[in-house]
Amino acid sequence: MSLKDVLMPFTAWGNLFKTPVTIKDSRNVEAAPRYRGFHMNDADKCIGCGTCEEICQNAAIDLVEVAGYEAKDGDSGLRPMIDYGRCCWCALCVDVCTTQSLRLTNEYKWISSDPEDFRFVPGVDEKHWNNRTEGYTKMDGYDLYSTQRVEMGELHAEERDKSFVEMIKGYSLEQAQKEADRCVECGICIATCPAHMGIPRYIEAVRHGDMEEGLRILYETNPLPEICGRICTHKCETVCSLNHKGDALSIRWLKRYIADQVPAERYKEILGTDKIVKNGKKVAIVGAGPAGLSAAHYLSLMGYQVKVYEVQEAPGGMTRYGIPEYRLPYDMIDKDIDYIKSLGAEFQFGTRVGVDVPLETLEKEYDAVFAATGLHLGRSTRVPGSDHKRVYQAIDLLRDVSYGKEIDLSEKIVVVGGGNVAMDITRTIARLQNKKYGKVGVTATCLEAEGSMPADDEEVIEAREENATIDPGWGPQEIIVENGEIKGLRVAKCLRIFDDEGRFNPTMDMENQKVFEAEMIVESIGQGMDISYTDNIKEKLTFGPRGRIQVSPDFQSDIPWLFVGGDIIEGPDVIHGIANGHKAAKGIDKFLKGK
Amino acid sequence: MKEIVNRLKEKFPVTAEIYQRDDLTFVTVEKKYGVDAVAYLKEYEGFTHLVLLTAVDWLEEGEFQLTYLLNNPKAKHDIGLRVRIDRETAEMQTAHHLWPAVTTYEQELNEMFGISFPGSPRQGHRFILDEAWQGPPPYRRDFDTKKYSEETYFPRPGRSKIDPSEHMKKKLYPEGM
Repeated sequence: MSLKDVLMPFTAWGNLFKTPVTIKDSRNVEAAPRYRGFHMNDADKCIGCGTCEEICQNAAIDLVEVAGYEAKDGDSGLRPMIDYGRCCWCALCVDVCTTQSLRLTNEYKWISSDPEDFRFVPGVDEKHWNNRTEGYTKMDGYDLYSTQRVEMGELHAEERDKSFVEMIKGYSLEQAQKEADRCVECGICIATCPAHMGIPRYIEAVRHGDMEEGLRILYETNPLPEICGRICTHKCETVCSLNHKGDALSIRWLKRYIADQVPAERYKEILGTDKIVKNGKKVAIVGAGPAGLSAAHYLSLMGYQVKVYEVQEAPGGMTRYGIPEYRLPYDMIDKDIDYIKSLGAEFQFGTRVGVDVPLETLEKEYDAVFAATGLHLGRSTRVPGSDHKRVYQAIDLLRDVSYGKEIDLSEKIVVVGGGNVAMDITRTIARLQNKKYGKVGVTATCLEAEGSMPADDEEVIEAREENATIDPGWGPQEIIVENGEIKGLRVAKCLRIFDDEGRFNPTMDMENQKVFEAEMIVESIGQGMDISYTDNIKEKLTFGPRGRIQVSPDFQSDIPWLFVGGDIIEGPDVIHGIANGHKAAKGIDKFLKGK
Repeated sequence: MKEIVNRLKEKFPVTAEIYQRDDLTFVTVEKKYGVDAVAYLKEYEGFTHLVLLTAVDWLEEGEFQLTYLLNNPKAKHDIGLRVRIDRETAEMQTAHHLWPAVTTYEQELNEMFGISFPGSPRQGHRFILDEAWQGPPPYRRDFDTKKYSEETYFPRPGRSKIDPSEHMKKKLYPEGM
């Protein structure tokens, strides 16, 4: 080392009193428009699905509770908090965000002496860059998961409009796995499903190709997967986080996929139900619909001797006698129910409790009773002419079709109603007319306007594909009868359905009327219940709104041995029935163990 | 470019050629010809400038792909010479004698992909990773970033996380199912 090397560093001291050459950057140049700086989250748009937390490779994100946001259907109420000690600004969280509420602003300069300041909830905590629009947002067309669901094969309208063959074909393994791959496993759907099914877990099982595990997960909360996999109202899909920017996951079809793959004869082995230890207690179930079947399943597993009383000739309730075969084939109903039978549940058909067997007898012979008798009485419009013999109830006709009875058709039929049952009977009539006359002549009309019909959109679309006419927004005034024959239905334009107090009180524009020609009218404006079997014990029960029997969260009525559930308590739909039946089974077990 | 590739083919067996643009071509040769082919392109075809040397992890195929991207400043042409090497042994002849900068690239690939270049200076010396780095080479595709950060860095005090579906259960249906 030379002397120069030793002395050189000291020459720098000569600059000590000079004016600095570094200056403050007065231009205050902003970062590039797509620069990745601090996060901003639109907290109102965010649903707290936690997918950002899940994808973060640095574990920089925690979902936390924040003031002003509560858990509700489709929103966990949580919001992401970011630890900038770990964030590396890779923006995977932005790219994966299901609602696209999360973005990065281009602000990256911020000084604070407290390290804790660098951990905050973007969009909730006040930051000076919150209104900054520049920064990094997810690019259109760049998606970490597919926003489109795998299309489900369906029979074409021409193939299906004369037959009752199931129109939905089901996924192949490849399609099912591709669809399952779209799930972000956020679990937002679980709370909304009335049965709180383990949805992300069974979707994961599909992804791994493990249908046995999938079946076990399904049966934890739902003993009717073939049925639900076809006709569930799938509220889960409505709240699916993918629904915000693309198609919701096909949860229902994936459930169906699992059940379809496993042959019935392997169920007991897979579900571990070969040997059930009986506990010697007996429970009677009134009604073999989804709620009764669900209770029968879970009670049988717990060791109860279960007997189901059913007024019809076969089990399934509304799933068999209300839903047409093209949506739910009978052999699929049988597959689910035969398994429940194999667990030891007995069935007695053609028996109406309250008529053939008094409820008191059940009380004496059994330790508890679960009544889930459903809604099987059609409601009438009560307009003039509705007492004509060619005015039918949709629910009665659908039952007749299930029994294979011939329907006394006409070439022109009007269906009054805009719900799923109305669509079921409309599409059933269309098929029958097509078979008999080679053409369709059915019109469905309802109070609700286009777009707000209570039926599922696809039901309306498919009915139209099958050449049925759907003409919504009309209120029935009169069924025109001439010389004893129905000539048509006179309707008036419906202006509004509910009054200012929110009560059902439709207002019509009487200046705007028309007549739907018809020789036969089918009413489908809702169903009522027949609980006359409780007449003798009525004074011991409490009744809530619309004559519903009041029950505890365990579905126990004021009479301790009587549990009540299904459509007469909640719903109406299959999945509520299944959930009710499961809860009632647990309630009955609790009640009988405490006795 | 076609003529260059044809001349290259006379010297070395070329297993793949891609004419990406008029001024950009990729050719693949076997590992044993890799460095010689690069030297040939530099010395005889005017590709005197090394743009970069990089690797791609073809995990499923059990191979790494090395790309020597070379530039001919006169012709304004680029050629990418590709070599596939076994992922398990992960070893390649050094090319540091051709350009001093290769040493740096080889040091980087050694650290980030775990590919060794015997004879190259600074192999095994830290490049950009922390001295305390304990994990496997982080550019390998089977490197689990999240697992590594969870195992290596302790959580910041005061942090807590809530699972959305568990939280919704607690708030919306505490009785469970």
